[in-house]
Amino acid sequence: MMEIQLIINDINYKVDIDVNMRLIDLLRDKLGLTGTKEGCGEGECGACTIIMDGESVNSCLVMAFQANGSNIITIEGLENNGELDPIQRAYMEEGSVQCGFCIPGLIISTKALLDKHPNPTREEIREGMSGNLCRCTGYNKAIDAAQKAIEYLKEGQNDFKNSW
Amino acid sequence: MTLKTVGKSIIRVDAYSKVTGKALYPQDIYLDDMLYAKTLRSKVPHANIKIDTREAERQEGVVRIFTHKDVPLNEHGVVLKDHNVFAADKVRQIGAPIAFVVGESEEACINGMNKIKVEYEELPGVFDPLEAMKEGSPKVHGQSNIIYHYKLRCGDIEEGFKNCVAIAENTYTTHMQDHAFLQPEAGISYMEEDGTLVVAVATQYPHYDREEIARTLKLEEEKVKVINTNVGGAFGAREDITIQIHLALAALTLNRPVKVVFGREESFQAHSKRHPMVMKYKTGADKDGYLQAMEAEIVGDSGAYCSWAMNVLRKAGVHATGPYHIPNVKVDSYAVYTNNPFTGAMRGFGATQIPNAAEQQMDILAEKLGISPFEIRQKNIFKTGSKTATGQVLLESVPLDRCLEELVKRYDEFLKLKNVVDETIEEGVL
Amino acid sequence: MTLNQVYNGSSIQQVMELLKEYKEDAKIIAGGTDIVVAMREGKLAPKVLIDISKIEDLSEIKVERDSIEIGAGVTYTQLVENGAFGKNLKGLIKACSMVGSPQIRNKGTIGGNIANAAPAADSIPPLIALGARLKIGSTRGYREVLLEDYFQKLKDHGLRNDELLISIGFMKAKDKEILSFSKLGLRKALAISRATISMLIGIDNGIIHNIVVASGSIGKFPMREIEVEKSLLGRSIDEDILDLAVDSLQESMDKRLEGRSTLPYKRRAIVSLLEEALRESNIYRSEVKL
Repeated sequence: MMEIQLIINDINYKVDIDVNMRLIDLLRDKLGLTGTKEGCGEGECGACTIIMDGESVNSCLVMAFQANGSNIITIEGLENNGELDPIQRAYMEEGSVQCGFCIPGLIISTKALLDKHPNPTREEIREGMSGNLCRCTGYNKAIDAAQKAIEYLKEGQNDFKNSW
Repeated sequence: MTLKTVGKSIIRVDAYSKVTGKALYPQDIYLDDMLYAKTLRSKVPHANIKIDTREAERQEGVVRIFTHKDVPLNEHGVVLKDHNVFAADKVRQIGAPIAFVVGESEEACINGMNKIKVEYEELPGVFDPLEAMKEGSPKVHGQSNIIYHYKLRCGDIEEGFKNCVAIAENTYTTHMQDHAFLQPEAGISYMEEDGTLVVAVATQYPHYDREEIARTLKLEEEKVKVINTNVGGAFGAREDITIQIHLALAALTLNRPVKVVFGREESFQAHSKRHPMVMKYKTGADKDGYLQAMEAEIVGDSGAYCSWAMNVLRKAGVHATGPYHIPNVKVDSYAVYTNNPFTGAMRGFGATQIPNAAEQQMDILAEKLGISPFEIRQKNIFKTGSKTATGQVLLESVPLDRCLEELVKRYDEFLKLKNVVDETIEEGVL
Repeated sequence: MTLNQVYNGSSIQQVMELLKEYKEDAKIIAGGTDIVVAMREGKLAPKVLIDISKIEDLSEIKVERDSIEIGAGVTYTQLVENGAFGKNLKGLIKACSMVGSPQIRNKGTIGGNIANAAPAADSIPPLIALGARLKIGSTRGYREVLLEDYFQKLKDHGLRNDELLISIGFMKAKDKEILSFSKLGLRKALAISRATISMLIGIDNGIIHNIVVASGSIGKFPMREIEVEKSLLGRSIDEDILDLAVDSLQESMDKRLEGRSTLPYKRRAIVSLLEEALRESNIYRSEVKL
């Protein structure tokens, strides 16, 4: 056991971890942040994607102790006081969601991309999402959602109240 | 009439929970005082086995190890009851479940699992469905590997072929395929205060699961509740039982919640696959380009268990002509046991493999007749009023001719595009 | 897992001292993209893990007038986003931008690819073509080894259990030189390379006056393709240089991969790879001073 400190979704955490825990285990098993999914455990599917110190990473390939001192954003951190992130809104509206298991990872990859490059081309969006697998919907609708989110972000629209 | 919903985009009811990460899949459920479990699986495709769990049971943190001895009725399956809950004295495919190790942590389960001794006395296996049909082949279950034979007879093929000027005779094969849904199998089981046994899983058939759990554990169905959580993709691969009975048995025996989560590799080992098929076709057309006769033999590899083999190979047989009118047809389709991973439902359910054969036959016949691939299809395609080889008269909505017309219109466009692609490939750019 | 002690490394010195203490019991972790999977599969079972991903000295790209030094902990994303690499080094950027996926590139490091001697590591052939040297340190001192030699004689030159890979350095390509890269993978993203080729070519008045060719996954380890270099050196770019390169590489492969099931496939595949690399050399040529 060892104690680490980190920030997750703007909250400071001081937690005891097992040394052989991965970051995804810490998030899910220890902190109850189960929106981050494990689909393959080896960095192929991207379902476990989170943002760590500004970059998208596979949380199944990071050891928990490596996150000591890091700033992390998970899917749970995107909704703010009942207001969805424009990316989440766009995914809903564009019909990008079916089984949903890949969606948290895809949304986080979209966010990581748009945080860095607010105005990517369709090809750049494709590249930005190339580390995420989806088996139901496929990728076109997720890319449509990203493009719609870009428009929302430009318009500064952020008033999509949660009514579900 | 004004329509409120039809023709409009609506947002799925579950979209909000899924974009926020709040949707619960079985792996997301954690209960107080919960135990974990791991499944020991066969490492060989065909063997007699002996299991010794004594040392494994003594490992720290191991609570209980379940094997075939603990199951009142050790058989299940969607059509035939040829699956074992746990392999008893024989394993028939790699990945067949042998034991279910329940422990205080996943690590304890793995330690326990590594200490289970399995003696494999390997048996000759059969891995080619055509070999498996032969008399002297190793048998997977019982006396014959042929699970099912579907016969379709329509008209007289001998007469039919006499009228043909072009005959195509070829064998086509398709491969095994995994559904690879994104959410690996997981589940959690527990007892309710009134003695109801609850199993929460992502499944395509909660009612079948409940029936199988009750039947194998000799419980009243009313005492079993299967909760379908969010399902992370299925595509047919969640139609057969994987963890349901194991979880039920463990919670029932131990009276504590039990959770199991598969990794990707175990997921591949545990669920069904798409049937590989060998399709031997003979198709003939007369001098005007009309199909006159077709003979097909279709063999589907069912692997070690039946699952939906009958339904899948029946569907393959029914669809064998493709969407074409042929007056004289003879089809024999077979489902065959082998020691390969078992196959079952997957998108299309036997109808997906067929076009690989039927449509290539059409192109080959068109070439032999010196007519275009469109012309041969236009002449033979099902229209309203057509009668299929199984005797069904298609009375409503058969818009295939319109589909073909659209294709003809766009074909030149397609050819231009294809030429660009071919040239690009030739240049080594792609 | 046997892992029972982990360290968040804070300096190169501290890590070298930890390695001295734990030796073969310890493993370095940076991006984790390979080692975490290997540990879970039981292929590696270190008792101690030392994280170097937050050591600043290892995460820097130092660009001097004639040379560049890349810290072993520099990620692919860092390298790709670094504007300091001239256009004639595009081959290195291209190789790094084709590794894995965005998530893998954000974590995976240039040093990790070298330290675990991954045979299909995309970043290695361009670095070999550039004549890169590794800087390796331990409490016993520092040593340098040519990247090309490192893989050639891993037993002699490979990392000892108390050593840390610190950086990879190379001389900048000269104005008239162009570094190219081509890769064959089974799909665009997340594909392990089936074969890669990188070339550093200097052209003067239409004549190839210097050339270094390196390959990945065409032999047991990433290596120089000396025969291809010989076949092209001194040739005019108007000659059938592709045919010459293909013939000599296929001849080398026939000896090297004799009896391997992948040989016929790779023999055919390298035609397109060499063509792409040569074509890129020409495309890039127009963008640098001649």
